[in-house]
Amino acid sequence: MKTYKKKGDKKIMLVTGLIIFLVIAFLASLSFGSVKVSVRDVLGAFFSPDISPVSTTIIRDVRLPRVIAGLLAGAGLSAAGVILQGVMNNALASSNTIGVGSGAGFFVMLALAFFPGKVWLQPVFAFGGALFATLTIFALAYFADTSRITIILAGITVSSFLSAGINLIKTLDTDIALNINSFLIGSLSGVSVRDITVPGILIVIAALVTLFLAGPLNILGLGDDVAASLGMRVSLVRFILMIVSSILAGCVVSYAGVLGFVGLIVPHICRRLFGNDAKLLIPCSILLGASFVMICDLLARVLFSPYEIPTGIIMSFIGGPFFMYLLVIKKGGRRLNA
Amino acid sequence: MLEFKNITVSKNGITLLEDISLKIETGKLTVLIGPNACGKTTLLQTLNGSSKVTGGEIILNGEDYLSLPPKERAKRLSFLPQVHSVIPSIPVKTLVSHGRFPYLGFSRRSGEEDKKIVNDAMIKTGVDEYSSAGVDTLSGGVRQRAFIAMQLAQQSDTIIADEPATYLDQPSRKKITEIYSGLRNEGKTVVLVLHELSTALEIADRIIVMKDRKIAAEGTPKQIISSGIITDVFGVGIKRFSDDEGDYLITV
Repeated sequence: MKTYKKKGDKKIMLVTGLIIFLVIAFLASLSFGSVKVSVRDVLGAFFSPDISPVSTTIIRDVRLPRVIAGLLAGAGLSAAGVILQGVMNNALASSNTIGVGSGAGFFVMLALAFFPGKVWLQPVFAFGGALFATLTIFALAYFADTSRITIILAGITVSSFLSAGINLIKTLDTDIALNINSFLIGSLSGVSVRDITVPGILIVIAALVTLFLAGPLNILGLGDDVAASLGMRVSLVRFILMIVSSILAGCVVSYAGVLGFVGLIVPHICRRLFGNDAKLLIPCSILLGASFVMICDLLARVLFSPYEIPTGIIMSFIGGPFFMYLLVIKKGGRRLNA
Repeated sequence: MLEFKNITVSKNGITLLEDISLKIETGKLTVLIGPNACGKTTLLQTLNGSSKVTGGEIILNGEDYLSLPPKERAKRLSFLPQVHSVIPSIPVKTLVSHGRFPYLGFSRRSGEEDKKIVNDAMIKTGVDEYSSAGVDTLSGGVRQRAFIAMQLAQQSDTIIADEPATYLDQPSRKKITEIYSGLRNEGKTVVLVLHELSTALEIADRIIVMKDRKIAAEGTPKQIISSGIITDVFGVGIKRFSDDEGDYLITV
Protein backbone atom coordinates (compact mmCIF):
# COMPACT_ATOMS: atom_id res chain seq x y z
CA MET A 1 0.00 0.00 0.00
CA LYS A 2 2.87 2.25 0.89
CA THR A 3 4.55 1.57 -2.46
CA TYR A 4 1.32 2.37 -4.27
CA LYS A 5 1.06 5.70 -2.48
CA LYS A 6 4.66 6.47 -3.32
CA LYS A 7 4.01 5.77 -6.98
CA GLY A 8 1.03 8.13 -6.86
CA ASP A 9 3.15 10.81 -5.20
CA LYS A 10 5.83 10.37 -7.85
CA LYS A 11 3.28 10.88 -10.61
CA ILE A 12 1.93 14.03 -8.96
CA MET A 13 5.50 15.34 -8.74
CA LEU A 14 6.16 14.53 -12.39
CA VAL A 15 2.95 16.21 -13.54
CA THR A 16 3.79 19.27 -11.45
CA GLY A 17 7.24 19.22 -13.02
CA LEU A 18 5.70 19.15 -16.50
CA ILE A 19 3.51 22.14 -15.71
CA ILE A 20 6.49 24.10 -14.36
CA PHE A 21 8.52 23.09 -17.44
CA LEU A 22 5.71 24.35 -19.68
CA VAL A 23 5.62 27.71 -17.90
CA ILE A 24 9.42 28.04 -18.11
CA ALA A 25 9.40 27.07 -21.81
CA PHE A 26 6.64 29.60 -22.45
CA LEU A 27 8.39 32.46 -20.68
CA ALA A 28 11.80 31.56 -22.18
CA SER A 29 10.30 31.47 -25.67
CA LEU A 30 8.89 34.94 -25.14
CA SER A 31 12.08 36.23 -23.57
CA PHE A 32 14.77 34.95 -25.94
CA GLY A 33 15.19 35.80 -29.60
CA SER A 34 17.10 38.18 -31.82
CA VAL A 35 16.28 40.83 -29.19
CA LYS A 36 16.46 39.62 -25.59
CA VAL A 37 13.59 40.76 -23.40
CA SER A 38 13.86 40.27 -19.65
CA VAL A 39 11.31 38.08 -17.89
CA ARG A 40 10.15 41.17 -15.98
CA ASP A 41 9.42 42.95 -19.29
CA VAL A 42 7.73 39.79 -20.61
CA LEU A 43 5.39 39.84 -17.63
CA GLY A 44 5.10 43.61 -17.96
CA ALA A 45 3.91 43.20 -21.55
CA PHE A 46 0.80 41.51 -20.20
CA PHE A 47 0.23 43.28 -16.93
CA SER A 48 1.76 46.78 -17.43
CA PRO A 49 2.11 47.29 -21.18
CA ASP A 50 2.91 51.04 -20.89
CA ILE A 51 6.18 50.55 -18.99
CA SER A 52 8.14 49.27 -21.99
CA PRO A 53 6.15 49.80 -25.23
CA VAL A 54 8.88 48.36 -27.49
CA SER A 55 9.14 45.14 -25.49
CA THR A 56 5.37 44.97 -25.33
CA THR A 57 5.15 45.17 -29.12
CA ILE A 58 7.82 42.49 -29.59
CA ILE A 59 6.20 40.19 -27.07
CA ARG A 60 2.55 40.64 -27.88
CA ASP A 61 2.60 41.17 -31.63
CA VAL A 62 5.61 39.14 -32.77
CA ARG A 63 6.52 36.41 -30.29
CA LEU A 64 3.27 35.59 -28.55
CA PRO A 65 1.42 34.35 -31.68
CA ARG A 66 4.41 32.21 -32.60
CA VAL A 67 4.87 30.80 -29.11
CA ILE A 68 1.17 29.99 -28.86
CA ALA A 69 1.38 28.44 -32.32
CA GLY A 70 4.21 26.21 -31.07
CA LEU A 71 2.36 25.37 -27.88
CA LEU A 72 -0.75 24.36 -29.80
CA ALA A 73 1.27 22.45 -32.41
CA GLY A 74 3.07 20.40 -29.77
CA ALA A 75 -0.10 19.79 -27.80
CA GLY A 76 -2.10 18.85 -30.90
CA LEU A 77 0.46 16.55 -32.48
CA SER A 78 1.24 14.82 -29.18
CA ALA A 79 -2.43 14.20 -28.46
CA ALA A 80 -2.85 12.90 -32.03
CA GLY A 81 0.17 10.65 -31.48
CA VAL A 82 -1.26 9.14 -28.30
CA ILE A 83 -4.55 8.50 -30.06
CA LEU A 84 -2.99 6.91 -33.14
CA GLN A 85 -0.56 4.77 -31.16
CA GLY A 86 -3.46 3.61 -29.00
CA VAL A 87 -5.91 3.05 -31.84
CA MET A 88 -3.37 1.06 -33.83
CA ASN A 89 -1.57 -0.35 -30.81
CA ASN A 90 1.58 0.41 -32.73
CA ALA A 91 4.52 2.27 -31.29
CA LEU A 92 5.42 3.69 -34.70
CA ALA A 93 2.08 5.32 -35.33
CA SER A 94 1.93 9.10 -35.50
CA SER A 95 0.36 11.63 -37.82
CA ASN A 96 3.47 11.63 -39.96
CA THR A 97 4.20 7.93 -40.07
CA ILE A 98 0.69 6.92 -41.13
CA GLY A 99 0.33 9.55 -43.83
CA VAL A 100 -1.92 12.16 -42.21
CA GLY A 101 0.92 14.70 -42.42
CA SER A 102 1.63 13.74 -46.03
CA GLY A 103 -2.07 14.07 -46.83
CA ALA A 104 -2.18 17.58 -45.42
CA GLY A 105 1.09 18.48 -47.15
CA PHE A 106 -0.05 17.14 -50.52
CA PHE A 107 -3.31 19.04 -50.39
CA VAL A 108 -1.52 22.28 -49.46
CA MET A 109 0.72 21.78 -52.48
CA LEU A 110 -2.35 21.28 -54.63
CA ALA A 111 -3.69 24.58 -53.27
CA LEU A 112 -0.39 26.27 -54.12
CA ALA A 113 -0.36 24.75 -57.60
CA PHE A 114 -3.96 25.38 -58.60
CA PHE A 115 -4.87 28.44 -56.51
CA PRO A 116 -1.64 30.43 -56.29
CA GLY A 117 -1.85 33.52 -54.12
CA LYS A 118 -4.89 32.36 -52.18
CA VAL A 119 -3.10 31.87 -48.88
CA TRP A 120 -6.32 31.48 -46.89
CA LEU A 121 -7.03 28.28 -48.75
CA GLN A 122 -3.98 26.54 -47.30
CA PRO A 123 -5.42 25.71 -43.86
CA VAL A 124 -8.64 24.49 -45.46
CA PHE A 125 -6.71 22.25 -47.81
CA ALA A 126 -4.40 21.06 -45.02
CA PHE A 127 -7.33 19.95 -42.92
CA GLY A 128 -9.01 18.45 -46.00
CA GLY A 129 -5.83 16.51 -46.78
CA ALA A 130 -5.49 15.19 -43.24
CA LEU A 131 -9.12 14.13 -43.26
CA PHE A 132 -8.76 12.59 -46.72
CA ALA A 133 -5.76 10.53 -45.61
CA THR A 134 -7.52 9.42 -42.42
CA LEU A 135 -10.72 8.45 -44.20
CA THR A 136 -8.80 6.63 -46.93
CA ILE A 137 -6.88 4.65 -44.30
CA PHE A 138 -10.06 3.88 -42.45
CA ALA A 139 -11.96 2.91 -45.62
CA LEU A 140 -9.13 0.60 -46.68
CA ALA A 141 -9.10 -0.98 -43.27
CA TYR A 142 -12.90 -1.17 -43.12
CA PHE A 143 -13.20 -3.09 -46.36
CA ALA A 144 -10.37 -5.41 -45.35
CA ASP A 145 -10.71 -5.44 -41.57
CA THR A 146 -10.23 -2.88 -38.83
CA SER A 147 -7.37 -4.70 -37.15
CA ARG A 148 -4.39 -2.66 -36.08
CA ILE A 149 -2.04 -4.28 -38.56
CA THR A 150 -4.34 -3.57 -41.49
CA ILE A 151 -4.67 0.07 -40.46
CA ILE A 152 -0.93 0.60 -40.12
CA LEU A 153 -0.32 -1.08 -43.49
CA ALA A 154 -3.03 1.08 -45.04
CA GLY A 155 -1.36 4.12 -43.44
CA ILE A 156 2.03 3.28 -44.85
CA THR A 157 0.49 2.74 -48.30
CA VAL A 158 -1.41 6.03 -48.21
CA SER A 159 1.66 7.86 -46.89
CA SER A 160 3.81 6.50 -49.70
CA PHE A 161 1.19 7.42 -52.32
CA LEU A 162 0.76 10.98 -51.04
CA SER A 163 4.51 11.53 -50.68
CA ALA A 164 4.81 10.54 -54.33
CA GLY A 165 2.18 13.20 -55.09
CA ILE A 166 4.21 15.81 -53.16
CA ASN A 167 7.36 14.91 -55.06
CA LEU A 168 5.52 14.99 -58.38
CA ILE A 169 4.28 18.54 -57.78
CA LYS A 170 7.77 19.58 -56.60
CA THR A 171 9.23 18.14 -59.80
CA LEU A 172 6.71 19.73 -62.13
CA ASP A 173 6.42 23.14 -60.47
CA THR A 174 9.81 24.53 -59.56
CA ASP A 175 8.31 27.72 -58.06
CA ILE A 176 6.47 25.66 -55.49
CA ALA A 177 9.55 23.51 -54.93
CA LEU A 178 11.51 26.63 -53.95
CA ASN A 179 8.91 27.86 -51.46
CA ILE A 180 7.64 24.64 -49.99
CA ASN A 181 10.73 23.37 -48.19
CA SER A 182 10.00 25.08 -44.88
CA PHE A 183 6.45 23.78 -45.01
CA LEU A 184 7.56 20.22 -45.63
CA ILE A 185 10.13 20.37 -42.83
CA GLY A 186 7.80 22.23 -40.51
CA SER A 187 8.29 25.83 -39.42
CA LEU A 188 6.59 28.40 -37.24
CA SER A 189 8.30 31.33 -38.91
CA GLY A 190 5.98 34.22 -39.69
CA VAL A 191 2.92 32.69 -38.05
CA SER A 192 0.33 35.34 -37.27
CA VAL A 193 -2.71 35.53 -35.00
CA ARG A 194 -4.92 35.19 -38.07
CA ASP A 195 -3.15 31.95 -39.06
CA ILE A 196 -3.78 30.28 -35.72
CA THR A 197 -7.18 31.59 -34.66
CA VAL A 198 -9.42 28.99 -36.28
CA PRO A 199 -6.95 26.05 -36.12
CA GLY A 200 -6.13 26.99 -32.53
CA ILE A 201 -9.76 26.91 -31.43
CA LEU A 202 -10.23 23.58 -33.18
CA ILE A 203 -7.06 22.16 -31.57
CA VAL A 204 -8.26 23.18 -28.11
CA ILE A 205 -11.70 21.64 -28.70
CA ALA A 206 -10.22 18.45 -30.19
CA ALA A 207 -7.73 18.17 -27.32
CA LEU A 208 -10.59 18.43 -24.82
CA VAL A 209 -12.49 15.76 -26.74
CA THR A 210 -9.34 13.62 -26.63
CA LEU A 211 -9.24 13.91 -22.85
CA PHE A 212 -12.82 12.73 -22.74
CA LEU A 213 -11.98 9.79 -25.00
CA ALA A 214 -9.17 8.55 -22.73
CA GLY A 215 -11.43 5.89 -21.16
CA PRO A 216 -12.48 4.29 -24.45
CA LEU A 217 -8.85 4.50 -25.64
CA ASN A 218 -7.82 2.48 -22.59
CA ILE A 219 -10.48 -0.14 -23.31
CA LEU A 220 -9.39 -0.30 -26.96
CA GLY A 221 -5.89 -1.01 -25.69
CA LEU A 222 -7.07 -4.37 -24.35
CA GLY A 223 -7.60 -5.65 -27.88
CA ASP A 224 -10.65 -5.56 -30.13
CA ASP A 225 -12.12 -8.82 -28.88
CA VAL A 226 -12.01 -7.80 -25.21
CA ALA A 227 -13.21 -4.27 -25.99
CA ALA A 228 -16.20 -5.65 -27.91
CA SER A 229 -16.98 -8.01 -25.02
CA LEU A 230 -17.08 -5.05 -22.65
CA GLY A 231 -19.77 -3.47 -24.77
CA MET A 232 -17.70 -1.06 -26.84
CA ARG A 233 -18.59 -0.28 -30.46
CA VAL A 234 -15.02 -0.87 -31.54
CA SER A 235 -15.19 0.32 -35.15
CA LEU A 236 -17.18 3.43 -34.25
CA VAL A 237 -14.84 4.41 -31.41
CA ARG A 238 -11.80 3.80 -33.59
CA PHE A 239 -13.35 5.93 -36.35
CA ILE A 240 -14.14 8.81 -33.96
CA LEU A 241 -10.63 8.71 -32.51
CA MET A 242 -9.10 8.80 -35.97
CA ILE A 243 -11.26 11.74 -37.00
CA VAL A 244 -10.23 13.63 -33.86
CA SER A 245 -6.57 12.88 -34.54
CA SER A 246 -6.91 14.10 -38.13
CA ILE A 247 -8.49 17.35 -36.91
CA LEU A 248 -5.57 17.84 -34.53
CA ALA A 249 -2.92 17.01 -37.13
CA GLY A 250 -4.63 18.86 -39.98
CA CYS A 251 -5.00 22.05 -37.93
CA VAL A 252 -1.32 21.98 -36.94
CA VAL A 253 -0.11 21.28 -40.49
CA SER A 254 -2.25 24.16 -41.76
CA TYR A 255 0.03 26.74 -40.15
CA ALA A 256 3.17 24.86 -39.06
CA GLY A 257 3.74 22.49 -41.95
CA VAL A 258 4.70 18.87 -41.57
CA LEU A 259 6.40 18.88 -38.16
CA GLY A 260 8.01 15.54 -37.50
CA PHE A 261 8.80 13.46 -34.44
CA VAL A 262 6.83 15.29 -31.77
CA GLY A 263 3.79 13.06 -32.22
CA LEU A 264 6.05 10.03 -32.16
CA ILE A 265 8.45 10.64 -29.31
CA VAL A 266 6.48 12.67 -26.79
CA PRO A 267 3.93 9.89 -26.13
CA HIS A 268 6.86 7.48 -25.70
CA ILE A 269 8.58 9.69 -23.13
CA CYS A 270 5.30 10.09 -21.25
CA ARG A 271 4.64 6.33 -21.29
CA ARG A 272 8.01 5.84 -19.67
CA LEU A 273 7.29 8.47 -17.04
CA PHE A 274 3.59 7.96 -16.35
CA GLY A 275 2.59 4.51 -17.64
CA ASN A 276 -0.06 3.64 -20.18
CA ASP A 277 -3.24 4.93 -18.62
CA ALA A 278 -4.56 7.29 -21.29
CA LYS A 279 -6.28 9.37 -18.62
CA LEU A 280 -2.83 10.48 -17.47
CA LEU A 281 -0.93 9.90 -20.68
CA ILE A 282 -2.99 12.31 -22.79
CA PRO A 283 -2.76 15.39 -20.55
CA CYS A 284 0.92 14.74 -19.85
CA SER A 285 1.71 14.31 -23.56
CA ILE A 286 -0.14 17.54 -24.27
CA LEU A 287 1.92 19.39 -21.64
CA LEU A 288 5.26 17.89 -22.69
CA GLY A 289 4.54 18.17 -26.43
CA ALA A 290 3.67 21.84 -26.05
CA SER A 291 6.89 22.50 -24.12
CA PHE A 292 8.97 20.45 -26.56
CA VAL A 293 7.85 22.35 -29.65
CA MET A 294 8.21 25.73 -27.92
CA ILE A 295 11.80 24.85 -26.89
CA CYS A 296 12.66 23.51 -30.37
CA ASP A 297 11.26 26.65 -31.96
CA LEU A 298 13.23 28.79 -29.52
CA LEU A 299 16.42 26.95 -30.50
CA ALA A 300 15.51 27.34 -34.18
CA ARG A 301 15.33 31.08 -33.64
CA VAL A 302 18.42 31.64 -31.49
CA LEU A 303 20.99 28.99 -32.45
CA PHE A 304 22.08 30.72 -35.67
CA SER A 305 20.67 34.16 -34.90
CA PRO A 306 20.04 36.38 -36.80
CA TYR A 307 19.39 33.52 -39.23
CA GLU A 308 16.53 31.20 -38.47
CA ILE A 309 16.17 27.56 -39.34
CA PRO A 310 12.91 25.60 -39.65
CA THR A 311 11.68 24.23 -36.32
CA GLY A 312 11.28 20.77 -37.86
CA ILE A 313 15.06 20.49 -38.32
CA ILE A 314 15.71 21.05 -34.60
CA MET A 315 12.94 18.65 -33.67
CA SER A 316 14.42 15.95 -35.87
CA PHE A 317 17.92 16.59 -34.53
CA ILE A 318 16.65 16.12 -30.98
CA GLY A 319 14.01 13.52 -31.79
CA GLY A 320 16.22 11.33 -33.98
CA PRO A 321 18.91 10.54 -31.40
CA PHE A 322 16.29 10.15 -28.70
CA PHE A 323 14.41 7.61 -30.77
CA MET A 324 17.65 5.73 -31.45
CA TYR A 325 18.22 5.74 -27.69
CA LEU A 326 14.77 4.23 -27.16
CA LEU A 327 15.27 1.61 -29.83
CA VAL A 328 18.80 0.52 -29.00
CA ILE A 329 19.52 1.31 -25.36
CA LYS A 330 16.09 0.78 -23.89
CA LYS A 331 14.91 -1.89 -26.37
CA GLY A 332 11.83 0.09 -27.33
CA GLY A 333 10.97 1.25 -23.83
CA ARG A 334 7.71 0.55 -22.06
CA ARG A 335 5.13 -1.66 -23.66
CA LEU A 336 2.65 0.30 -25.65
CA ASN A 337 -0.64 -1.23 -24.69
CA ALA A 338 -2.94 0.88 -22.63
CA MET B 1 -31.63 -19.70 -21.02
CA LEU B 2 -29.22 -18.79 -23.80
CA GLU B 3 -30.47 -20.04 -27.11
CA PHE B 4 -28.73 -20.03 -30.48
CA LYS B 5 -31.41 -20.41 -33.14
CA ASN B 6 -30.35 -21.48 -36.62
CA ILE B 7 -27.17 -19.41 -36.45
CA THR B 8 -25.25 -18.88 -39.67
CA VAL B 9 -21.97 -16.99 -39.81
CA SER B 10 -20.40 -16.04 -43.13
CA LYS B 11 -17.36 -13.93 -43.89
CA ASN B 12 -16.16 -12.84 -47.31
CA GLY B 13 -18.52 -15.33 -48.94
CA ILE B 14 -17.26 -18.25 -46.86
CA THR B 15 -19.73 -19.94 -44.54
CA LEU B 16 -18.06 -20.48 -41.18
CA LEU B 17 -21.11 -21.82 -39.35
CA GLU B 18 -24.41 -22.96 -40.81
CA ASP B 19 -27.73 -23.44 -39.11
CA ILE B 20 -26.40 -24.03 -35.59
CA SER B 21 -29.05 -24.44 -32.93
CA LEU B 22 -28.21 -24.82 -29.28
CA LYS B 23 -29.77 -24.30 -25.87
CA ILE B 24 -27.67 -23.42 -22.81
CA GLU B 25 -29.54 -24.02 -19.58
CA THR B 26 -29.70 -21.33 -16.91
CA GLY B 27 -27.69 -21.92 -13.75
CA LYS B 28 -25.65 -24.76 -15.24
CA LEU B 29 -21.99 -25.06 -16.14
CA THR B 30 -21.84 -26.03 -19.79
CA VAL B 31 -18.54 -26.97 -21.41
CA LEU B 32 -18.03 -26.76 -25.14
CA ILE B 33 -15.47 -29.22 -26.45
CA GLY B 34 -14.21 -30.08 -29.89
CA PRO B 35 -11.02 -30.26 -31.94
CA ASN B 36 -9.26 -27.10 -33.11
CA ALA B 37 -11.04 -25.18 -35.90
CA CYS B 38 -14.35 -26.93 -35.28
CA GLY B 39 -16.17 -23.59 -34.86
CA LYS B 40 -16.31 -23.17 -31.07
CA THR B 41 -14.67 -19.75 -31.03
CA THR B 42 -16.63 -18.55 -34.07
CA LEU B 43 -19.85 -19.54 -32.34
CA LEU B 44 -18.97 -17.75 -29.11
CA GLN B 45 -17.68 -14.69 -30.96
CA THR B 46 -21.23 -14.11 -32.22
CA LEU B 47 -21.88 -12.99 -28.65
CA ASN B 48 -19.52 -10.00 -28.77
CA GLY B 49 -19.97 -9.20 -32.45
CA SER B 50 -16.50 -10.35 -33.50
CA SER B 51 -18.26 -12.92 -35.68
CA LYS B 52 -21.17 -11.38 -37.56
CA VAL B 53 -24.35 -13.39 -37.52
CA THR B 54 -25.68 -13.56 -41.08
CA GLY B 55 -28.66 -15.74 -40.26
CA GLY B 56 -30.63 -16.84 -37.22
CA GLU B 57 -31.01 -15.27 -33.82
CA ILE B 58 -29.72 -15.46 -30.26
CA ILE B 59 -32.24 -15.36 -27.44
CA LEU B 60 -31.03 -14.64 -23.91
CA ASN B 61 -33.62 -15.08 -21.18
CA GLY B 62 -36.41 -14.25 -23.62
CA GLU B 63 -34.72 -11.17 -25.13
CA ASP B 64 -33.45 -10.83 -28.68
CA TYR B 65 -29.80 -10.56 -27.64
CA LEU B 66 -28.41 -9.30 -30.94
CA SER B 67 -30.84 -6.37 -31.09
CA LEU B 68 -29.66 -5.07 -27.71
CA PRO B 69 -27.15 -2.17 -27.62
CA PRO B 70 -23.58 -3.46 -26.97
CA LYS B 71 -23.43 -2.14 -23.40
CA GLU B 72 -26.75 -3.77 -22.52
CA ARG B 73 -25.42 -7.05 -23.92
CA ALA B 74 -22.28 -6.68 -21.81
CA LYS B 75 -24.39 -6.19 -18.67
CA ARG B 76 -26.31 -9.39 -19.32
CA LEU B 77 -23.52 -11.59 -20.68
CA SER B 78 -19.78 -11.37 -20.15
CA PHE B 79 -17.52 -13.08 -22.63
CA LEU B 80 -13.82 -13.51 -22.00
CA PRO B 81 -12.20 -14.18 -25.36
CA GLN B 82 -9.47 -16.70 -26.06
CA VAL B 83 -5.76 -15.97 -25.38
CA HIS B 84 -5.47 -12.22 -25.24
CA SER B 85 -3.61 -10.73 -28.18
CA VAL B 86 -2.72 -7.74 -26.05
CA ILE B 87 -1.12 -7.97 -22.62
CA PRO B 88 -1.66 -4.53 -21.18
CA SER B 89 1.01 -2.89 -19.03
CA ILE B 90 -1.51 -1.38 -16.65
CA PRO B 91 -2.11 -2.17 -12.97
CA VAL B 92 -4.36 -5.13 -12.23
CA LYS B 93 -6.86 -2.87 -10.48
CA THR B 94 -7.17 -0.70 -13.59
CA LEU B 95 -7.73 -3.76 -15.76
CA VAL B 96 -10.42 -5.10 -13.44
CA SER B 97 -12.09 -1.68 -13.30
CA HIS B 98 -12.52 -1.85 -17.09
CA GLY B 99 -15.15 -4.50 -16.34
CA ARG B 100 -17.38 -1.66 -15.18
CA PHE B 101 -17.28 -0.02 -18.62
CA PRO B 102 -20.86 -1.05 -19.56
CA TYR B 103 -22.19 0.64 -16.43
CA LEU B 104 -20.34 3.94 -16.60
CA GLY B 105 -22.30 6.96 -17.68
CA PHE B 106 -21.34 9.88 -19.88
CA SER B 107 -18.73 11.14 -17.40
CA ARG B 108 -17.21 7.63 -17.20
CA ARG B 109 -16.47 8.15 -13.52
CA SER B 110 -16.47 5.14 -11.24
CA GLY B 111 -18.63 5.44 -8.13
CA GLU B 112 -18.12 3.88 -4.73
CA GLU B 113 -20.28 0.92 -5.71
CA ASP B 114 -18.16 0.32 -8.83
CA LYS B 115 -15.01 0.39 -6.70
CA LYS B 116 -16.48 -2.10 -4.26
CA ILE B 117 -17.48 -4.43 -7.08
CA VAL B 118 -13.94 -4.22 -8.52
CA ASN B 119 -12.41 -5.01 -5.12
CA ASP B 120 -14.80 -7.92 -4.57
CA ALA B 121 -13.95 -9.33 -8.00
CA MET B 122 -10.23 -9.15 -7.22
CA ILE B 123 -10.72 -10.88 -3.87
CA LYS B 124 -12.87 -13.58 -5.43
CA THR B 125 -10.24 -14.42 -8.02
CA GLY B 126 -7.34 -14.03 -5.58
CA VAL B 127 -5.63 -11.16 -7.41
CA ASP B 128 -6.22 -8.50 -4.75
CA GLU B 129 -2.64 -8.83 -3.52
CA TYR B 130 -1.45 -7.90 -7.03
CA SER B 131 -3.79 -4.93 -7.42
CA SER B 132 -1.03 -2.39 -8.09
CA ALA B 133 1.21 -4.76 -10.09
CA GLY B 134 1.40 -4.41 -13.87
CA VAL B 135 -0.62 -7.04 -15.73
CA ASP B 136 2.37 -7.65 -18.01
CA THR B 137 4.55 -8.53 -15.02
CA LEU B 138 2.32 -11.37 -13.77
CA SER B 139 2.62 -15.10 -14.35
CA GLY B 140 0.21 -16.59 -16.90
CA GLY B 141 -2.10 -18.00 -14.25
CA VAL B 142 -2.41 -14.83 -12.18
CA ARG B 143 -2.80 -12.75 -15.35
CA GLN B 144 -5.66 -14.94 -16.50
CA ARG B 145 -7.30 -14.58 -13.10
CA ALA B 146 -6.96 -10.80 -13.42
CA PHE B 147 -8.86 -10.98 -16.72
CA ILE B 148 -11.47 -13.20 -15.06
CA ALA B 149 -11.78 -10.59 -12.29
CA MET B 150 -12.47 -8.01 -15.00
CA GLN B 151 -15.13 -10.34 -16.36
CA LEU B 152 -16.68 -10.73 -12.90
CA ALA B 153 -16.75 -6.95 -12.48
CA GLN B 154 -19.22 -6.92 -15.38
CA GLN B 155 -21.68 -8.58 -12.96
CA SER B 156 -23.52 -10.46 -15.66
CA ASP B 157 -25.71 -13.47 -14.99
CA THR B 158 -24.31 -15.33 -17.97
CA ILE B 159 -20.57 -15.86 -17.96
CA ILE B 160 -18.70 -17.25 -20.94
CA ALA B 161 -14.98 -17.90 -21.38
CA ASP B 162 -13.16 -19.23 -24.40
CA GLU B 163 -10.28 -21.48 -23.34
CA PRO B 164 -9.62 -19.69 -20.04
CA ALA B 165 -7.16 -22.35 -18.88
CA THR B 166 -5.16 -22.99 -22.05
CA TYR B 167 -1.34 -22.76 -21.78
CA LEU B 168 -1.50 -22.73 -17.98
CA ASP B 169 0.07 -25.18 -15.54
CA GLN B 170 -2.04 -27.66 -13.60
CA PRO B 171 -2.43 -25.62 -10.36
CA SER B 172 -3.44 -22.52 -12.33
CA ARG B 173 -5.93 -24.52 -14.41
CA LYS B 174 -7.40 -25.95 -11.25
CA LYS B 175 -7.81 -22.52 -9.66
CA ILE B 176 -9.53 -21.17 -12.74
CA THR B 177 -11.96 -24.06 -13.10
CA GLU B 178 -12.72 -23.71 -9.39
CA ILE B 179 -13.59 -20.05 -9.86
CA TYR B 180 -16.03 -20.85 -12.68
CA SER B 181 -17.51 -23.82 -10.78
CA GLY B 182 -18.02 -21.48 -7.83
CA LEU B 183 -19.89 -19.04 -10.03
CA ARG B 184 -22.18 -21.83 -11.20
CA ASN B 185 -22.82 -22.69 -7.54
CA GLU B 186 -23.90 -19.08 -7.02
CA GLY B 187 -26.55 -19.57 -9.70
CA LYS B 188 -24.75 -18.05 -12.67
CA THR B 189 -24.99 -19.58 -16.11
CA VAL B 190 -21.44 -20.52 -17.11
CA VAL B 191 -20.19 -21.63 -20.50
CA LEU B 192 -16.56 -22.61 -20.97
CA VAL B 193 -14.52 -23.85 -23.87
CA LEU B 194 -11.98 -26.33 -22.55
CA HIS B 195 -9.47 -28.54 -24.30
CA GLU B 196 -8.67 -30.80 -21.39
CA LEU B 197 -11.34 -33.49 -21.75
CA SER B 198 -11.03 -35.00 -18.27
CA THR B 199 -11.48 -31.59 -16.61
CA ALA B 200 -14.39 -30.77 -18.91
CA LEU B 201 -16.16 -34.01 -18.08
CA GLU B 202 -15.52 -33.65 -14.36
CA ILE B 203 -16.74 -30.09 -13.83
CA ALA B 204 -19.54 -29.77 -16.39
CA ASP B 205 -23.24 -30.14 -15.85
CA ARG B 206 -23.72 -30.29 -19.61
CA ILE B 207 -21.29 -31.01 -22.43
CA ILE B 208 -21.62 -29.83 -26.00
CA VAL B 209 -19.39 -31.51 -28.56
CA MET B 210 -18.61 -29.74 -31.82
CA LYS B 211 -17.06 -31.29 -34.89
CA ASP B 212 -16.59 -29.93 -38.41
CA ARG B 213 -18.48 -26.73 -37.53
CA LYS B 214 -21.56 -28.64 -36.41
CA ILE B 215 -22.97 -29.71 -33.05
CA ALA B 216 -22.00 -33.37 -32.84
CA ALA B 217 -23.57 -34.20 -29.48
CA GLU B 218 -24.87 -32.71 -26.27
CA GLY B 219 -25.78 -34.13 -22.91
CA THR B 220 -24.56 -34.75 -19.41
CA PRO B 221 -20.95 -35.89 -19.02
CA LYS B 222 -22.23 -39.41 -18.28
CA GLN B 223 -24.29 -39.47 -21.46
CA ILE B 224 -21.39 -38.12 -23.50
CA ILE B 225 -18.95 -40.70 -22.13
CA SER B 226 -21.30 -43.60 -22.69
CA SER B 227 -22.24 -42.47 -26.21
CA GLY B 228 -18.72 -43.03 -27.52
CA ILE B 229 -18.70 -39.63 -29.23
CA ILE B 230 -15.42 -38.71 -27.52
CA THR B 231 -13.63 -41.50 -29.38
CA ASP B 232 -15.34 -40.56 -32.66
CA VAL B 233 -14.39 -36.89 -32.39
CA PHE B 234 -11.05 -36.93 -30.59
CA GLY B 235 -9.77 -40.45 -31.24
CA VAL B 236 -9.21 -41.07 -27.53
CA GLY B 237 -11.07 -42.96 -24.85
CA ILE B 238 -12.10 -41.95 -21.33
CA LYS B 239 -11.43 -44.22 -18.36
CA ARG B 240 -12.46 -43.85 -14.76
CA PHE B 241 -9.64 -44.19 -12.24
CA SER B 242 -10.20 -44.49 -8.51
CA ASP B 243 -7.97 -44.20 -5.48
CA ASP B 244 -8.46 -43.48 -1.79
CA GLU B 245 -9.14 -39.80 -2.45
CA GLY B 246 -11.82 -40.25 -5.09
CA ASP B 247 -12.66 -40.93 -8.72
CA TYR B 248 -10.86 -39.37 -11.66
CA LEU B 249 -11.41 -39.37 -15.39
CA ILE B 250 -8.38 -39.85 -17.59
CA THR B 251 -8.00 -39.87 -21.36
CA VAL B 252 -6.39 -42.97 -22.84
